[in-house]
Amino acid sequence: MKWSGYKDLEEFTEHDDAELDSLKRRIFFAAVIILFFAAIIIGRLWFLQVYKGHHYQARADSNRVRMREVAAPRGNIKDRMDRELVTNRPSFNVVLVREDSNDVDELLKKLASALDLDISKLWEKLREAEGKPRHIPVRLLEDINWETLAYVENHNQDFPGVRIEATPVRVYHYGNLAAHVIGYLGEISKKELEARGKDVYTGGDLIGKMGIERIREVDLRGEKGSSSSEVNARGFEQQLLKNTEPLPGNDIKLTLDAELQKIAEGLMDAGDKAGAVVAMEVKTGRMLVLASTPVLPIDQFVGGISHKNWNALLDNPKHPLINKVVQAMYPPGSTYKMITALAGLATGVINKDTVLYCPGHYYFGKRRYHCWKHSGHGAVNLKRAISESCDVYFYQVGLRVGVDRLAKYANKFGLGHKSGIEMENEKSGLTPTKDWKKKKYKKKWQEGETLSVAIGQGFNLVTPLQICLMTATIANNGKQLLPQLIEKVTDPDGNVLSQFEPVVVDELKSEKKFLSLIRNGMEEVIQGRHGTARKVRIKGLTIGGKTGTAQVVRLKQYKHLKEKDIPYKYRDHAWFTCYAPAEDPEIAVTVLVEHGLHGGSGAGPVARALLEAYFTDYLQAADKAEKEKGE
Amino acid sequence: MFRIDRRYFYNFDWILLFMLIGICGMALMNLYSASYPPSPWGIPPYIKQCYLFLLGISGVLFILFFDYKELHFWNYPFYIFIVLLLLFVLFAGNSAGGAQRWVNLGLFKLQPSELAKLSLVVTLASYYSRKEKAEGYGIRDMVTPVLLTLLPFLLILKQPDLGTALMLGIIFVSMTLFAKVRWQTLGLGAVLGSGAGVFAWFYLLKDYQKRRIETLLNPAKDPMGQGYQILQSKIAVGSGGVSGKGYLEGTQGHLHFLPERHTDFAFAVWGEEWGFVGSVLFLGLYFCMLLWGLYVAMSARDRFGVFLSFGVVMLIFWQAVINLLMILGFLPVVGIPLPLVSYGGSSLLTTLLGLGILMNVRMRRFQVGQNVEKMKQ
Repeated sequence: MKWSGYKDLEEFTEHDDAELDSLKRRIFFAAVIILFFAAIIIGRLWFLQVYKGHHYQARADSNRVRMREVAAPRGNIKDRMDRELVTNRPSFNVVLVREDSNDVDELLKKLASALDLDISKLWEKLREAEGKPRHIPVRLLEDINWETLAYVENHNQDFPGVRIEATPVRVYHYGNLAAHVIGYLGEISKKELEARGKDVYTGGDLIGKMGIERIREVDLRGEKGSSSSEVNARGFEQQLLKNTEPLPGNDIKLTLDAELQKIAEGLMDAGDKAGAVVAMEVKTGRMLVLASTPVLPIDQFVGGISHKNWNALLDNPKHPLINKVVQAMYPPGSTYKMITALAGLATGVINKDTVLYCPGHYYFGKRRYHCWKHSGHGAVNLKRAISESCDVYFYQVGLRVGVDRLAKYANKFGLGHKSGIEMENEKSGLTPTKDWKKKKYKKKWQEGETLSVAIGQGFNLVTPLQICLMTATIANNGKQLLPQLIEKVTDPDGNVLSQFEPVVVDELKSEKKFLSLIRNGMEEVIQGRHGTARKVRIKGLTIGGKTGTAQVVRLKQYKHLKEKDIPYKYRDHAWFTCYAPAEDPEIAVTVLVEHGLHGGSGAGPVARALLEAYFTDYLQAADKAEKEKGE
Repeated sequence: MFRIDRRYFYNFDWILLFMLIGICGMALMNLYSASYPPSPWGIPPYIKQCYLFLLGISGVLFILFFDYKELHFWNYPFYIFIVLLLLFVLFAGNSAGGAQRWVNLGLFKLQPSELAKLSLVVTLASYYSRKEKAEGYGIRDMVTPVLLTLLPFLLILKQPDLGTALMLGIIFVSMTLFAKVRWQTLGLGAVLGSGAGVFAWFYLLKDYQKRRIETLLNPAKDPMGQGYQILQSKIAVGSGGVSGKGYLEGTQGHLHFLPERHTDFAFAVWGEEWGFVGSVLFLGLYFCMLLWGLYVAMSARDRFGVFLSFGVVMLIFWQAVINLLMILGFLPVVGIPLPLVSYGGSSLLTTLLGLGILMNVRMRRFQVGQNVEKMKQ
């Protein structure tokens, strides 16, 4: 082992002791450094383990236990005959918990190649979730098929952080039926999250965005369940610690009748008509039909509507986004004449036998006001005035009553203020008064304007629901009921939480006796020889009703044109409102067709079909009775 | 050479040996917990480490027969061998995690960069002990040691293994300062060193290395990446509290929240299961061992022995400090193990060899040399 140069090396290592001693002195310095760092490390240990020990113990516990929310199935929505309108079905989604995945990049690559997906789409989903906490699952794929489900479940060890999540999704059994009433769900927005309380919702939750889904969100949403499990850092659940089942939402039974609604929407749709159909039980206030067309394409809203579709809906000249039952206002046209008539009777300016002469026009001030029938109705009493809708008669009644008193009676029938129905953005309409004009336009009321108001034109604006309420109030002998659309709310165990009860809003008193006169006139509209809605007549059923034509513009250039040549947006709106059976009214039906020209022809058939469907049994019974009588 | 002197037995460093066995015993116990529950396949890490420990101890006992002075000669063949190994791994080594670091030796994968640390200690000790300058080293004296450091440094940096490369730099700085340099040399070194650092940041460091440093400055920025490791490590240690969760009861480690829990983060497992009390006891013993190493340096019979002992202590000390500060959240994740505690054959063998050198120096503190003869005069 000894090598030749060993001796020389010994020479090398010869040094003087003084230098060796100074070297050893520097060792003390090194010892101080070691002790210094030892002190730092022990101090840090004390800080982490003793001073902050409890904090880190809590962190370790939450590290270990991961709680995840289980979405609750929303309540079902049914119609008055217990037909299911909206229910739920389970949908399976592939979700990623970023916190549990060590290498998201690699994971997405693997997932994309295994499932043959476009990786850029997966990345996009992650980018959308950028701001959310990392333990909140991000949905990579929604509503996957069984094949994908089976693959991901079987290979879950290959995809740390990825799991399958089952969430209930809405099933619309009647498609877009009553879409404006039922509404739709959407992902909760930041604003809603802040407003609605963060303890109930978390980002990514679905929330009612419109209609009953939105208004009755609290009833429908149910309570989320949760499951806590011990997980390891790679996101695999080691064991389930606690599981709380979600509590389904309450079921809502509507007063709507799906079949009637279907007929209404179908007929409007078939005629490519934009407008509203409203049907109501006159004695209870139950809403049977609340249709607004064009119908909202609810399927486009599921999972978030695309920009293109949304813009198409916005630009559609028939405004499918607007619920025309309560959110659109139209001049009431001749349907308003019942108000003028009642005001005339109640104030005593006319009685049932008052006869006024109609030469086809009426001069007031320097202007000539036309009757719709230019040849004139001749001498007319109240009954004829209503059944033949004589404008000249009502010009004169209106003038005698005055605009403020007209408004007073209009308000008594529900015009000019919100009905209080459970629908969003209800418009209150407009019943003009002298004060109103002064406030609004800083101008004095012109008496000539009263003439327009008296026949439902001018400043008058109403919603289709208000006209239906008015008709129902007339039919119900002056008792005005709150329009309601919820029959019953039941919890998942079947306990009834709330049950429909009629609410009387207002009742006419001394004026009651005049209502039969008005009803007589309305019945003549359909049953009379010269009635304006003879086409609506149904054999075996006595109907009372009124047509109306709401002028959109008064432009000379279109005067001479044939109706079909007038541009769509300048055509008149068509009204038809009615109640039946006249002997003991059950329902009121109101139809408005935007730019539908004439009430009798444009709106009448829809109402007629509804009445036929509603009174099928009644008509059969009547038919049978008649046959027996004949024999 | 093979004189079995009875004095060697009496002078043998029993204290160091017992401290070593104590630390290694606790480390193996900790390793068992860190790899618990045992994996069904392969040799569990603690068994492997146990073998290597026995192998290392026998190796140490064997080299005790040789005078450490022999290293003056063996140092260069050893150094060249290491450099060749480093070149070998660069071109033909086993790669893992994007770095080429290992030579597969069957029982374990040899990491030449670990041996390079010890080799550098011996090389520098040899150089400084032979070239003595009472007034301190000048710039020209520094050329050789700088080159000797730079060669393995660059090879390891290329692997890339930033942590180990930095360790070489730290060893060089510690030993050079210890050997005493002139002020001008120190100033120039500082300027060049910081210049190289700035250059490296912009041109040499890989993105992931930069990210590690950035993460330390702002861990919340990337909680799942580097920050996640540091955070989980802090949670593990902190949740141990005063008395710990108990042996095999640590949740952070066993539920896999703790990354690298049997290698770089092994001490976090200890901290979690044994708490503040256990940690202080363990680290107390550990630092006592290091201080004892300095005491060995004090008592060395010659300059070479002092440098050797000092270098070995610094080698272990700086790794331990960096590793512990990393686990406790003060330093970025650089991949430096805690000597004797972290799983890893090369590191364990290197450390044991280093401690063997310490024992050697201690054992031969009274051996007849020039000093002793001078004393006799």
